[in-house]
Amino acid sequence: MNLLWRTVRIPMNTFCLHRTFAASALHLAPVQLPSRAESHLWYLVPDEVKSVSLLGQYSEILSPCENEYVACIRGEQLKKTALLARVLVRTTIARYQTDGYIDPRSLKFRKNIHGKPELEWDNDDSGSRPPVQFNISHTASLIACGVTSSSPIGVDIEKKDRKIQNNIISFARRYFTPNEVERLSSISDLNVQRQHFLKLWTLKEAYVKALGKGISALPFSTFTIKSRNFEKKELNGSGDSDPEITVESVDGQRSLLSNWQFTLLELAGTHFAAVCVARDGSMGGKNMFNFGLGYGKHFTGLKSILTVSDKCFTPKKLTVMKTIPFVGDESMSGTDAAIVCGF
Amino acid sequence: MASSVAGASICIKSASQTSNRTSRLRSVSLLNSKTFPFLISYKGSYRLQICCAAKPETVGKVCEIVKKQLALPDDSDVTGESKFAALGADSLDTVEIVMGLEEEFGISVEEESAQSILTVQDAADLIEKLIEKNGH
Repeated sequence: MNLLWRTVRIPMNTFCLHRTFAASALHLAPVQLPSRAESHLWYLVPDEVKSVSLLGQYSEILSPCENEYVACIRGEQLKKTALLARVLVRTTIARYQTDGYIDPRSLKFRKNIHGKPELEWDNDDSGSRPPVQFNISHTASLIACGVTSSSPIGVDIEKKDRKIQNNIISFARRYFTPNEVERLSSISDLNVQRQHFLKLWTLKEAYVKALGKGISALPFSTFTIKSRNFEKKELNGSGDSDPEITVESVDGQRSLLSNWQFTLLELAGTHFAAVCVARDGSMGGKNMFNFGLGYGKHFTGLKSILTVSDKCFTPKKLTVMKTIPFVGDESMSGTDAAIVCGF
Repeated sequence: MASSVAGASICIKSASQTSNRTSRLRSVSLLNSKTFPFLISYKGSYRLQICCAAKPETVGKVCEIVKKQLALPDDSDVTGESKFAALGADSLDTVEIVMGLEEEFGISVEEESAQSILTVQDAADLIEKLIEKNGH
C-alpha cells in the first residue's frame, strides 16, 4: 500500500494541519457515530508520527495522571506508543460529537472492576457526551481503537511475526480448551500453527475485553472459539471463503453464545486484529433463540419471534480507518491494509 | 510490628499515587538480610495483610524469566519494583511469564491471581506463598 504520508512540520504555537487549513488550536474533524449496524476500527502506526512538536502537542492533551504513567514507561519507543495510545483514545472519542465541539482534554476515564477503561461523565456533561463504547489495544508498532455507538466491544492486536517463548501445545493445554488444543495440534506446519495460535489468542482476548473482564475474571479454558467454516470443511469437505467465528461456553454442556460477533483481520500487513462486538446492543450470554421461543404462543407471537431473531443476527459492518490525530485519516476498508483472514 | 529489628530488613510501604486498582506499594529495604513480616495495605479494599517478602533469589529468578520473555538485555535494569506494564509486557507476555514461573518453581498459578501480579515483587511473593502452600 503506497501511502502519501508526509512529516508535517508544525509551528510550536499553532496546529497547521494542512496547507489549505487555517491554523487553529486543537482542531479535530468530527465523525458521524457508527449506526447500530456498524463498528469503527481506528488505527495508528507510531513510526509514522515523527514530528517532535506534534508529539509535544499530544502530551498536552493527556491528563496529569496519564502523563505520569507515560513517564514511568521504560524506553523511548514504548513511551511513544503509550502516549499515542492515550491520544488516539481521547481524540477519537472527542470526534464523535453529537452536540458541539468536545475538547479531548476534557474527557474523563475510569476503570471498571476488572480494569477495563471506560468513559466517565459528570451529570452536567450529558448534553455533549457521545454515546460511544470503545476498546483499545496496542503493540510497540501499532495502536488500534474500536468504537461502537452502544454495543460492548473488545479489540486485541498481535504482531503476526511474534514468537512464542513457551511450547505452543503446552501453553494451549495449560490455558485453552481441549477443542482448541486439538485444532492447534492438527496443524503440522509450525509457522502456520504459531499464526493460528496468535489469531486464537487475539480472538479470546477480544471476547473477554468485550465482556469487560480480563483473563483473570474469565479464564480462557472456560470458553472455546471455533471456526464454523473449519468444522463444515472437516465434515463434508466444503467451506465458504469467509469463516464464521463462534464462541461456546464450556460449562458442562457446550452452549453457543450467539450474541457475539467476531471479525478477524490482517491489519496494516503486520498484525492480526480481532474485534468482538455484541450484536444489536445486547450484552450476550443467553442464546436469543431461547428468549424468542419463550416469548409467545399465538401465531402473531411467532411472527414476532422470527423478526426478533432476524434483527439479533444482522452482522455488523466493520469500517477500518487509519489516522494520525489532528493530521488526517484514510479509509482502509476493502484495501490490503484490512484483510479479513481465515481462521 | 515486632520491636526487635536487629538483623532483619524492614520494608516501609507508602501508598501509590496513580493506580486506582489494588496496587503494590513501593518498598524500601533498610537492611539487607533476613526477611521480616510486614503489613501491606491494599488501596481500594482497605484490608491489611501480613505477608513475608520473597527471598532475593526468587526475585532474581523472576527477573531472569521476565528479561527472557521481553527480550531485554541481561544488563537491563529489572528489579522487584519493576512493573510489567512499564517494561512493555502485554497480556500474552504476562501469561507466558507466569507459565515460565510455574515450570521453574513447580507451582500452579490460577488465572484469578494474575490480576494481582503487577510487579516482579508481586510475582515473587506469590511464588513463595504457593511453594509454602505446597509444602515444598
